[in-house]
Amino acid sequence: MVFASLVFLYGFLPLLLVCYFLVPEKLKNHVLLAASLLFYFYGEPVYFLLLLFALASGYLYGLALDRFRGSGAARFVFISSLCISLGLLCYYKYAGFFLATWQAIIGAKPAPLRLVQPLGISFYTFQIVSYLIDVYYGRVAAQKSFLKFALYVSMFPQLIAGPIVRYTDVAAALDKRAASTAEIAHGIRRFIVGLGKKVLLANTLGELCQAVSPSGAGTATAYWLAALAFTLQIYFDFSGYSDMAIGLGRIFGFHFPENFLYPFISRSITEFWRRWHISLSSWFRDYVYIPLGGSRVAAGRFILNLAVVWFLTGFWHGADWNFIAWGLYFALLLLVEKFCLRGRLEKWPAFARHIYVLFFVVLGFVLFNAAGLSDGLGRIAAMFGLAGIPPADAVTLYHARSYAVVLLVAACGATPLPGMAVAVLKKCRGGRLCLFFVEPLFLLLVLLAVTAYLVDGSFNPFLYFRF
Amino acid sequence: MLEKSKSLAVIILFSAMLGLFSISHALLADAAVSYSERRLLARFPAVTSRDLFSGRLADELEEYLADQFPSRESFRALKAAVQLWLLRQKDKDGLYYADGHLLKLEYPLREHAVLQAADKFRALYDTYLQGMRVYYAIIPDKNYFVAAKNGYPAMDYRRLESLLAGRLQGMKYISLFECLELADYYRTDLHWRQECLLPVVDRLAREMDLPRRLSSVQYEKVALFPFYGAYYGQYGLPLPPEELVYLTNTAIEQATVKYYGQGEPAAVYDTSRFTGVDPYDVFLSGPVPLVEIENKLSFTEKELIMFRDSFGSSLAPLLLAAYRKITLVDLRYMSPALLGKMLDFDRQDVLFLYNTQILNHGEMLK
Repeated sequence: MVFASLVFLYGFLPLLLVCYFLVPEKLKNHVLLAASLLFYFYGEPVYFLLLLFALASGYLYGLALDRFRGSGAARFVFISSLCISLGLLCYYKYAGFFLATWQAIIGAKPAPLRLVQPLGISFYTFQIVSYLIDVYYGRVAAQKSFLKFALYVSMFPQLIAGPIVRYTDVAAALDKRAASTAEIAHGIRRFIVGLGKKVLLANTLGELCQAVSPSGAGTATAYWLAALAFTLQIYFDFSGYSDMAIGLGRIFGFHFPENFLYPFISRSITEFWRRWHISLSSWFRDYVYIPLGGSRVAAGRFILNLAVVWFLTGFWHGADWNFIAWGLYFALLLLVEKFCLRGRLEKWPAFARHIYVLFFVVLGFVLFNAAGLSDGLGRIAAMFGLAGIPPADAVTLYHARSYAVVLLVAACGATPLPGMAVAVLKKCRGGRLCLFFVEPLFLLLVLLAVTAYLVDGSFNPFLYFRF
Repeated sequence: MLEKSKSLAVIILFSAMLGLFSISHALLADAAVSYSERRLLARFPAVTSRDLFSGRLADELEEYLADQFPSRESFRALKAAVQLWLLRQKDKDGLYYADGHLLKLEYPLREHAVLQAADKFRALYDTYLQGMRVYYAIIPDKNYFVAAKNGYPAMDYRRLESLLAGRLQGMKYISLFECLELADYYRTDLHWRQECLLPVVDRLAREMDLPRRLSSVQYEKVALFPFYGAYYGQYGLPLPPEELVYLTNTAIEQATVKYYGQGEPAAVYDTSRFTGVDPYDVFLSGPVPLVEIENKLSFTEKELIMFRDSFGSSLAPLLLAAYRKITLVDLRYMSPALLGKMLDFDRQDVLFLYNTQILNHGEMLK
């Protein structure tokens, strides 16, 4: 089930809200867990048992790590727990890729494995792994209640597309939480804004991307337009989903970590990655990069550490060479910033730094969105007129004109400008009074428009589903 | 205080919206047909374990909710308003409004599909039509008159003509592009207006050596109202209805129409269809694979076989005065292999009459 669907909005969610707020405090976790499992079962019935297995395994290993803490067995338990969790991820997500690569190396006839990747496996595996690592190193105590552990991992707002929540983020709320009127209203606001970002902007940008993605030769402008549209689409798609998740969490009394912080206003690639998919970047930082030694090592080791982390980041996003290339591409850019541009980048004018970041980020997402490494490189070549194609044609210009307002709205919406406008209004009494009427009305209109798009829409992909 | 009231307002509005539409959907009876979109609406899916585990049930349930959502038409209009007015998109799902007409984008020219259609016509010619007088004519879609001057992309019509000409040697081409203008088409539909087809009839009569008298046949106009074309419902935004006018006279009224597979003879115009899903079906009852119209009052004893799409349904009655019998074949619904068993190809005139949208999707033809 996805949030941006009529079944969720007008079936699952109202029923859950009624049940959740009617039952006594002690049953709220039960209701939420049951709803979360139903949510997952509805979307991925085939791999439902796999989720239950992952939950049981994570829970029992957590208890075992607590039990054997300080003894020689703890290390064995810890390694075996990681092997099971990461083994499942590797098998379902990467076995096909490894097999295809092996077949290519030995020149065998391709025989694909045809494994479907279970929904959300990358996200819930990373949550379980972070929990096990934290328990092993004594940062948190193991959760004794299976109900609470299962709820931590499988809570439906963040189950299938993040943000990747650490156990420490929600441990206290699993025991006791209260959602005030202001908190619930904040959650609703965030949820509706996320819905709008996903349905009204991301899906429309996706249509543009599809319309201009050349099936034949195409034009250089079409490739650029597709690249820009996809960059904005993936931002609104994923940040919209994160907003919905954070908002829903807030309605039920949980505070999930932020996942996006206006990444396109960054003035360096380093800053971009502090603002884009924050929960994943910080996961790799805390559980891979720092244990490897981080940046406080010799230059060679530092380069290796960075390459490993970005190889894994790329590979996490997809089992294909273009994702690996995408990760290593950012590793290279970060190394260039670290070794070649250090001290110089800061002296560039702000607009030049923005253009520098946007240029390389857009190119990166061309690789990311490609059907493979050679396709990605081909698209980049076409963008720069190296494919023997015309710079533009009437059809491309038509699409550019048709989606000009959407692109403009999306470009503004990806900056803090709307938030700044609200902040300015909040400073004066007249502004606050204006917001009192305008804000609920705006939210209602967005919800109505989203419903209209869902009622009359067929284009509703979700990009981060299978990651 | 203001913040708290605002928070309450947000919660109440959100709950009301979710509650109102969830409950009203549960209470309201499901509709069977969407007349504006001209299609059957999804019904509540049968729940089977197979569909559940394949994910099909989830898809069907979403489709069902979308189709049966309360105030669905209003939501569709709202979406169109957001797309076209707020976000200033130039089309909605390929439909656009220009020069007072609704049109569907039709581009680029799909050369392989056009050639596929041409090859099918060629095969028919080689199999059945050798030695007969064979003509072909192309009906331009509305984009021909509107798209370029309003900044919309359109197919290369000249290229389409030349592709057909390259494959259809032995058949005489009759160009209709100059006989038509935008006003000859319905504003909310793809079809042409029958009452505007007399220049087309003149051109066909001249090129096919039909009696001059065909151009001076008198008709009585009968108007049906309100007519909402196929694009109207797809577009979503309200537009004024039009009149659907059909032309009739004694010969047309006395003509007998036989539909393949139906025993009872019928009339040329079936006005009961006007209130159906597609009101354009008034003309020869809409999409039918094989129709024979016999006219005992014709000027000549000649017969015509017309390979056609829905545009031919409104043109055929106007050619009736010149023919004792017109046989209409719709290759979208009928395999050419069956034609030899059902028709005697003798000395009839043969006309291939297709609009550019069908030719651009030549794979639709059998």
